[in-house]
Amino acid sequence: MGRIVTSSPMQHGSLDTNRIMLLVVAACLPGVLIGTWFFGYGILINISLAVIAALVLEACLVKIRGREPRLYLADNSALVTAVLFGIAIPPGSQWSLLLMGIAFAIVIGKHAFGGLGQNAFNPAMCGYLFLLLTFPLEMTSWHIPNDAIVAGSSFSPIAWQGFLQALLLTFPFLTSDPSGIQATVDGLAMATPLIEFKMAGPNALRAAQENGLSLFARSSQTGWELVNFGYLLGGLFLLFKRIINWHIPVSILATIVVLSILFYAPGSTSIYGTTYLHLFGSATMIGAFFIATDPVSAATTNKGRLVYGIIIGASIYAIRVWGSYLDSIAIAVLFGNFCAPLLDHFCRPRLYGENRPLPTTENLPRAAAENNEPGS
Amino acid sequence: MYPLIDTIYVQVISGSLVLLLAAHLGLKIWQALLRQRLLQRSLLERINRLLPQTQCGQCGYEGCLPYAREICRGDAINKCPPGGPETIVRLAALMHRPVEPLNPAHGQVKPFAVAVIREAECIGCTKCIQACPVDAIIGGPKLMHTVIEQECTGCDLCVEPCPVDCIDMISRAWGNPVIWLLPSSGVGVRQQLDTAV
Amino acid sequence: MSQSPHHKSFTARLRAHKIFGGIKPAVYKADALRSRVMPAPLPGNLVLPLLQHQGQPAMAVVEVGQAVLKYQVLAMGNGPLSVPVHAPTSGVITAIADSAVPGFGAQVQRCIHLQADGLDTAAELQPCLDYRALSHLQLLALIDAAGICGLGGAGFPTAEKLRVSIEQGVELLIINAAECEPYISADESLIRERADRVVSGAEILQSVCLAKRCVIAIEKDKADAIEALSTALQDSSIELLVLNSKFPTGGERQIIQAVTGFEVPRGLLPVDAGILVQNAGTAYAVHNAIVEGKPCISRITTLTGSPLQTPKNFEALIGTPVSFLFEMCGIDKSQHTGTIMGGSLMGIELDSDEVPLIKTTNCLLAKSTGEFPDPAPEQACIRCGYCADVCPARLLPQQLYAFSRSEDLDQLEEHGLADCIECGACAYVCPSHIPLVQYYRASKQAIAERDRQFQTSKQWQSRFQFHQYRLKKETTKALDKKLPGAEKTTANEPAQPFSRDQARDEIAAAVRRVAARHSNRTAPSSAKDKAKDKDRH
Repeated sequence: MGRIVTSSPMQHGSLDTNRIMLLVVAACLPGVLIGTWFFGYGILINISLAVIAALVLEACLVKIRGREPRLYLADNSALVTAVLFGIAIPPGSQWSLLLMGIAFAIVIGKHAFGGLGQNAFNPAMCGYLFLLLTFPLEMTSWHIPNDAIVAGSSFSPIAWQGFLQALLLTFPFLTSDPSGIQATVDGLAMATPLIEFKMAGPNALRAAQENGLSLFARSSQTGWELVNFGYLLGGLFLLFKRIINWHIPVSILATIVVLSILFYAPGSTSIYGTTYLHLFGSATMIGAFFIATDPVSAATTNKGRLVYGIIIGASIYAIRVWGSYLDSIAIAVLFGNFCAPLLDHFCRPRLYGENRPLPTTENLPRAAAENNEPGS
Repeated sequence: MYPLIDTIYVQVISGSLVLLLAAHLGLKIWQALLRQRLLQRSLLERINRLLPQTQCGQCGYEGCLPYAREICRGDAINKCPPGGPETIVRLAALMHRPVEPLNPAHGQVKPFAVAVIREAECIGCTKCIQACPVDAIIGGPKLMHTVIEQECTGCDLCVEPCPVDCIDMISRAWGNPVIWLLPSSGVGVRQQLDTAV
Repeated sequence: MSQSPHHKSFTARLRAHKIFGGIKPAVYKADALRSRVMPAPLPGNLVLPLLQHQGQPAMAVVEVGQAVLKYQVLAMGNGPLSVPVHAPTSGVITAIADSAVPGFGAQVQRCIHLQADGLDTAAELQPCLDYRALSHLQLLALIDAAGICGLGGAGFPTAEKLRVSIEQGVELLIINAAECEPYISADESLIRERADRVVSGAEILQSVCLAKRCVIAIEKDKADAIEALSTALQDSSIELLVLNSKFPTGGERQIIQAVTGFEVPRGLLPVDAGILVQNAGTAYAVHNAIVEGKPCISRITTLTGSPLQTPKNFEALIGTPVSFLFEMCGIDKSQHTGTIMGGSLMGIELDSDEVPLIKTTNCLLAKSTGEFPDPAPEQACIRCGYCADVCPARLLPQQLYAFSRSEDLDQLEEHGLADCIECGACAYVCPSHIPLVQYYRASKQAIAERDRQFQTSKQWQSRFQFHQYRLKKETTKALDKKLPGAEKTTANEPAQPFSRDQARDEIAAAVRRVAARHSNRTAPSSAKDKAKDKDRH
């Protein structure tokens, strides 16, 4: 055998996986902060608990698989999974629920497939779906501090009181009177305006449109709108930084827009919401910019990404309006993940010079040629 | 107001779009399947491609193709010393059989070598010419013989018949020097090889 | 897409086009460009490899101990894919032996060692004052004799490339001055200072290959060189095209796309599309060869890197040791950790500095840990697809990587690994620090080896089948003949199975014969050997 020779290139660009993952987390910040402002500390508690659990689990699993944990933790991929998972779980969920979900995400969703880069499905969404299927009631109940959902309330859910309430919701064993805590929060606030709408029918939508979905009135309904703008902002930041390509989010959003325009019928008894409601009334933005763009489980060719986005967008819409699940990002993304390998196989770009004819060399007089064919 | 989808134009346009897309995808899959079928070779040919074509007969058959035919009929896959463990691993994968170590009854793995006749000692008996399975030895009766090096498969068959033992097997570098190694050694076939040997 | 090919004429639309993919790495050319091109001092010993180009090594025509003059031919071209080697200075040939040459790993090749006498006595040159007086074939012969190969780095024999172009007919000659590697500034400094001679070389090349149109293509960021060129091109029919700065615009197929907007069809050569690409340095060498009659004995090389106190562009003699050149630039040996020949993105890591500069050495880059830290550990591929975005051949490096790891050679071929130009853009952007190019090189090597093995085994198989067929035919023939006659066996009856018993007598007889021959053989055989030796000389 010959000796190993190091190959060119000797120079390397500045972007690396660790930084990409950190930037994704940073891009989540606006959405998370706005969410905290509207719904209290529940999200932050979710995220921190999920992050701690995910990092510990990741370290253990990497160790069990016989690799160097420090190197593998440094890629920050578990961090991103945990943050996205923490955002997806309703605030005020119990710690046991959270731990179960994140454990499923990291153990089954990621390392059972062979760790980062090998997982066929988005780990965070695996964990979320696992919880959604096993604990449907808990997963659709958003326990939110009272202040957060009283429209026009002068109290802030980010006050100390709200933090305590949220903390006790997550760790009910900390108080001797769990039911008292339950009473101070809204027992069963519906997750999103979209869900509320789906449950209550067109009348509620009309009400939501008239009252709720106006900016800057703090309620569970208007909050969603701003949260979505926050994630849209973060997504645009990722696009600007070229961390993600435009193909997936744009095709998801475009598909949703087209479908909702086609099916929207104001004044009729149909249950299809407006385009605006579909884009900003639920988790659409975080889904399109953060969850579906997880590179490992998405399609990797540009053409494939467009089709992948269309599949996800159509699934989101279909599950929302015709399906029995309340929100559909996780299911739609996992469905897209199913299709990704096939898309990669069939949507390969044309190689340089592939199927190109030889240029014919008809010799036009030079000056005339340049005048005749401007910019052809 | 109507939902747009209920108008006939939108239905026709979107319906045909969806149909076109489906047809396009279907066509692509169909083409891929067709191409796959064209690429598919007979089992015999695929086995034969995996054998080293040394034609040494150490497996007990006349040559590589006859052995391939016997493998098709269920013979053991570990009878080919020139192919070595790599051939066994590949055959096992192709035939869905467990990897076995080389059967020592058929010989040992040796580095590739070509036959070279010490021409001064050759008596011109043509025994080696008759033994050579690929006609790589030239020469006539009572005339000096020589081996065409490029054609020699290193099968050893000419060594035994030589009455004056003037044929040496000289090992030759096999192929080009390896410059580049995969940074990830120990995956794929190589890993299986390590466990097989 | 479905445009009829008859409407396509690349001669009609020369403007800066986009290439597929590409990266914009940080550029470090300024250091070496601060000073003018300087002639490198004469080293004491020069080492001239017989193979400095792509193809067959040249044939040495000098002997050890022979005194040679500057410009004298030391080795002749040996076939069409071979270029001669000339003496860069006067001196004595001290050895013709294998020694280390630049290349992947520790490579050793036959080299002519020349000890300079310091006098630099030149052989008489035959400059050609007006190249237009010569026919294009005469010019071609002169270029062939001058030992020029592609000086951009690939090193394809220029004369052979021109000959094929004349045969096939080319429409467009592109002089490649893109020089997109971040450290190399050899062509830029050459053009900045000697644009007129580059243009003259380009004109000669155009008249040799009979191209209808000639374009000098240069990247946007080389302002001085562009200015010099546009002055030199004022009364010339050659055009100047300023391209966008992007790596790897300087690749042959990439520069064709950047200049014409056409892609060379897969599996064909640029010349099939009527396009010839020559490097600016090559054009300069052609000017020297024709107008001044000087063969290719020196070239402009960038010496750069942070261990060098005075990075600069040297006009150095071919065969100068790399370490000598580094010393001339004031190398700080404590910082120096290695040497790259060529640029930082496509260059070759040299095994030692005791190798000569050869015709294709456009840059010598001294590494230091500050500038070139050890590569970060390889992390998992996250399939981000950045590599696919920058691939100039539009491959899917992430898929090729997966197939390389699993050693799935069929899929690699199916995904077009052979189209990879190893530019390294994918590995440059890879956030997981995967040495992708190394994977591809290993896989290409494995594919070549597999194909070679397959060819050999196919050959063996067909010979075996023919052998069996022959046996069968001869057996039936022999049977036909023998049926009426006696049971006579002949010595060369092939169908006869080998039998020890029958052979014993023959062996005994043969061994006796050999012994007899051995005893009275010594004298005639040595005579024969002498005759053989004579044949060889």
